[in-house]
Amino acid sequence: MPDEAVSAKNPEPPRTPEVIEDRDTARLARVVRVATPFISVAIAVLIGSIVIRLAGASPVQAFSAMFEGAFGGPRQTGETLLKATPLIFTGLAVTYGFRTGLFNIGAEGQLFLGGITAAFVGVQVAALPWAASVPIIIVCAALAGAAWAFIPALMKARIGAHEVITTMMFTYIGRYFVSWIIAGPFKDEGAIPQTPLLPETSQLPRISDVFSFVQPNRAHLGFLLGIVAALLMWWILRSTVLGYEARAVGFNPMAAATAGISVSVTTVKSLCISGALAGLAGAVEVMGVHHRMFDQLSLGLGFTGIAVALLAKTNPLGVIAAALLFGALSAGAGTMQLQAGVSPRVIDIIQGVIIFMVGAEAIVAWAARRITARKGAEHVS
Amino acid sequence: MLAEIFTPELFASAIRLATPIALAAVGAAICERSGVVNIAMEGLMLIGAFAGTTVALLTGSTWLGVLGAVVASLMFASMHAWASVNLRSDQVISGTAINILALGTTGFLMKTIFGHPGTTDPVKTLAPVFDLPRGDSSALGQLWNWIDTVLLSHTPIVYFGIFASIFLTWALYRTRWGLRLRSLGEHPRAADTVGISVYKGRWFAVLVSGFMSGLAGANLTLEQVGSFTEGMTNGRGFIALAAMIFGRWVPGGGYLASLLFGFADALQLKLQIFSDVIDIPAQFFLMLPYVLTVIVLAGVVGRAVAPAADGKPFEPRG
Repeated sequence: MPDEAVSAKNPEPPRTPEVIEDRDTARLARVVRVATPFISVAIAVLIGSIVIRLAGASPVQAFSAMFEGAFGGPRQTGETLLKATPLIFTGLAVTYGFRTGLFNIGAEGQLFLGGITAAFVGVQVAALPWAASVPIIIVCAALAGAAWAFIPALMKARIGAHEVITTMMFTYIGRYFVSWIIAGPFKDEGAIPQTPLLPETSQLPRISDVFSFVQPNRAHLGFLLGIVAALLMWWILRSTVLGYEARAVGFNPMAAATAGISVSVTTVKSLCISGALAGLAGAVEVMGVHHRMFDQLSLGLGFTGIAVALLAKTNPLGVIAAALLFGALSAGAGTMQLQAGVSPRVIDIIQGVIIFMVGAEAIVAWAARRITARKGAEHVS
Repeated sequence: MLAEIFTPELFASAIRLATPIALAAVGAAICERSGVVNIAMEGLMLIGAFAGTTVALLTGSTWLGVLGAVVASLMFASMHAWASVNLRSDQVISGTAINILALGTTGFLMKTIFGHPGTTDPVKTLAPVFDLPRGDSSALGQLWNWIDTVLLSHTPIVYFGIFASIFLTWALYRTRWGLRLRSLGEHPRAADTVGISVYKGRWFAVLVSGFMSGLAGANLTLEQVGSFTEGMTNGRGFIALAAMIFGRWVPGGGYLASLLFGFADALQLKLQIFSDVIDIPAQFFLMLPYVLTVIVLAGVVGRAVAPAADGKPFEPRG
């Protein structure tokens, strides 16, 4: 799991060659930590270009079409924000797990549970005003996501069952469960398996409808909610007991236990918070975009959340930036297919390469060492 | 109705459906015994399934398809080996990257090669190995028919899976290679000190896992389904991981555990036919293998112990 390098501040240590080397190593580690995400994205784009080229299209044309589709005007930028919104939440979900040393690979399933809950509760609270119904729906969806993470969390805490397997299994179970609700007990009238449309009081309005100075686009209030959530998590991790315990367990469970922190309680809490955030991703998609629940609500938003979290180096504020990048890729993919004839699946390849590269920090470290070694040699000569 | 459900065909299909999970689980057992965690089986299987179908469709030879499946899976497995052995990446993250990469690559190539997403054209599947005469209606003949249907009706890769699980279990506990491999997963530093190459041993183990996962994909498309559909592995790679744990990191144990999942899958398929008698929605049947995986893990994990150095990168001295 990615973790923060410890920065040591020694007052005035004796300047032996070893210390100098240590300082260089520490500085190198810092440089690598900052540079890795950028280098990873660059390499991923490069490999993406090779793939596009091999498929017989022009990478330059493909990526400029993608850029056009993601930032070409207010409408396009709105699409980028729209696509980034659920990714902020799934990215935060995976991030919070990582910080506690947990890999919530099952955000996808928790997202579906949050989505169906939002669709169901949203219809039930139709009589309430907007200011009451929206918070109720959001809380319920978060609880549903947390509930879906609870059994894997308990299994991890009590018997050490690996959360990668259990949360993944719960994703499949959840998708079938939700698919049954959509096709059965809570199906809208008509042939298509989907839930009834949400009343307007249960929807998240578009940003451009709320603030008249914004050009019309499809981005909705969920995006602002995502930013608030990221700020909140940053503060929780930094300044609260809850966040301190989570980080302590993630850093070294044994030491945390010795310090009197209950590892199992923290594990359950963290995985449930992670699940709650993934549930919110489903809720904002239902309340802000589709206004109902259906089988294809997410085609891997939970998994992209892993890429977002890793690229952000599990920093909640970095999650916003990483989510915007993936949002732009996804918003531009349609234009790329239309103008350059490249399958939008190429962004999955880019995503995979980014995860691989961020995981393989050693590649970047190796490159950095080579560069510094050359500089050192120049100093000597 | 019970007699209608528990037919010889049910047991035969349990073995068939267990095979992709079992192949991956057997490979994973070898991989983890060397100290490398492999959660990429899902992706390796998917790559194998796609490459197998594509090569078979383009060349017209199903056996070349099997070869293609193995080669493609080995290529992606090399990435995992490189990342987890040489680059000392987090092995779970590297595995996740390969899973996502496999999903993207197969989806992308699907569109590029066949011009459409979804499912490929049908491909000729491998024929069963044996074609034996059926028995008569005597008791002995009935018994023969039962054996013939359950055990002797299968395709080559199914038998290879059984053979590999027995052979690798033997090799792991009775050969010098096996002892050395296990030492890498328990105490790589000690193994290194006595001159065993940790890197080579782990690379080889990851490649064994890639080989088996590729075959699992080939079995899925070239023996069972007869075409490729995007994302068709549907969590089998993760179920294989659970089967390997249930089988206590022993190849043979992983195979037996996979039979349990194969049986659950066969049973849910069978029960769906009786949906007018048993009034339960199909989705709940489809959940069965996944629910079973969770239950199995809940029951067994506390008592099964992973290799001591499982998932820990090895840093050579100097």
